Amino acid sequence: MKIIGKQPSREKCAESGWFAWDYLLDEPVEREFILKLRPLGGFTYLDMLKQPFFKIDSDYYMIKGIQGNDYFRIAVHGKHEDQLEELERTIIDCMEK
Amino acid sequence: MIYLNNGATSWPKPPAVSEAVQACLSGTPASQFRGGSSIMKKDVEVLCREKLGQLLGIRETERIFFTSGATESMNTVLGGLDYGEKGSSILVTQTEHNSVLRPVYNLEQLREHPVLVVKCTINGIVTEESLEIAVRPDSRVLIVNHCSNVTGCVQDMEMIREFAKRHGLILIVDVSQSAGCIPVDADKWEADALIFTGHKSLMGIQGTGGFYVRSGIELKPLKYGGTGRNSAQLTYENKDYEYEVGTQNMPGITGLLAGVEFIEQTGLSAIMEKEARLMEMLYSGLEQIEGVRIYGNHDVCRGPVMSLNFQGLKASDAAYILESGYGIIVRSGLHCSPLIHKAMGTEEGGTVRVSVSWFTEEKDIKKFLGAAKEIAASVARNI
Repeated sequence: MKIIGKQPSREKCAESGWFAWDYLLDEPVEREFILKLRPLGGFTYLDMLKQPFFKIDSDYYMIKGIQGNDYFRIAVHGKHEDQLEELERTIIDCMEK
Repeated sequence: MIYLNNGATSWPKPPAVSEAVQACLSGTPASQFRGGSSIMKKDVEVLCREKLGQLLGIRETERIFFTSGATESMNTVLGGLDYGEKGSSILVTQTEHNSVLRPVYNLEQLREHPVLVVKCTINGIVTEESLEIAVRPDSRVLIVNHCSNVTGCVQDMEMIREFAKRHGLILIVDVSQSAGCIPVDADKWEADALIFTGHKSLMGIQGTGGFYVRSGIELKPLKYGGTGRNSAQLTYENKDYEYEVGTQNMPGITGLLAGVEFIEQTGLSAIMEKEARLMEMLYSGLEQIEGVRIYGNHDVCRGPVMSLNFQGLKASDAAYILESGYGIIVRSGLHCSPLIHKAMGTEEGGTVRVSVSWFTEEKDIKKFLGAAKEIAASVARNI
């Protein structure tokens, strides 16, 4: 799985104080990838839903998405925007493993 | 895709609205030297003012002015009013939108006028008692949001009219969320100013709206510029101010006229009945779902918007799941009305807001309720 695009999220009001981006993938998010993200923070996985929702959050970032969609969202708190690239690299590692 | 975010912008629009905008763009821009059959036609702006006057209960339709929306209208009215002596206070209700709150807290002209917030109930209702607690002898202006864009509660305008009159307050009513779906009667309310937007229940396009200010209320303009009238005049010594300056948004006003005509043809009562039926479906359906918290109730919240939360799930996550997992568009957060959330206890994460329009169908509500049930059950299992 690869990231093939990235754009600022439209969800500006909702994530007050946070900057969010939507990442477009070349294939749908699968359960295995979601579980690899688990060590990155607090983990929510609503796998009873027809399209399971996942979310990983820490004090300064949040990753969320829907299993089966070819995109997911990363939000970083304004004070930690510089750490987005490092987070992206970590996620890309999870995709490659 | 199911669109339940009509409280932000109504969609879809009546076909007549897009046809009117297209026709306006295709036609020759209006000329001051009209000839032929066009002499007999009323100006779109005049006609739109007349139709808005009928809908909003305004006799002085020439005192309706077009702007880019409620925010510009509110800045114009709040920035241009005469507040009298230094220190005179401004009353705003806890339900106000940031289009009111940010101007009153930031406009340079208002710097020396304290802002007093009138508390509301958990549903967003402003009571006479809370108005009496907040008002001071130096209060000069009262700004009221007719219908909350968070809970859909509709204020008792008769009580507010009497209160404003008793205390000699200039009454400004924001009907952004109610115009076109709930009866508005500016003259009956004795409103000194009325603020409206065009792109919600009036069915117009974004970038339209306006305000009414009754004659006798002195208002300095926010903007100055060309109007096509007496171009040699450079100052307004006689305070004969003009409020529509620069080239007007004719495609927008033409679309707004088509939207208001659609409401007239459909009938406000028919729109209200349909939207009330849809909202009743939402309230009664959501009340059956364990793990869903509804803010407000249908007895006082008669507008086409409502707020809810899923226990154990952030509002922003719920909205994300609804959109990305079910194709249902709602809105999450504070909805640009931060103060009401203190009354609701939702100031941290806000709420999920669901809002309908004339074009929402019962099957859309059923799909939303089905999704809400699945989400609530899934969260309950995850806790």
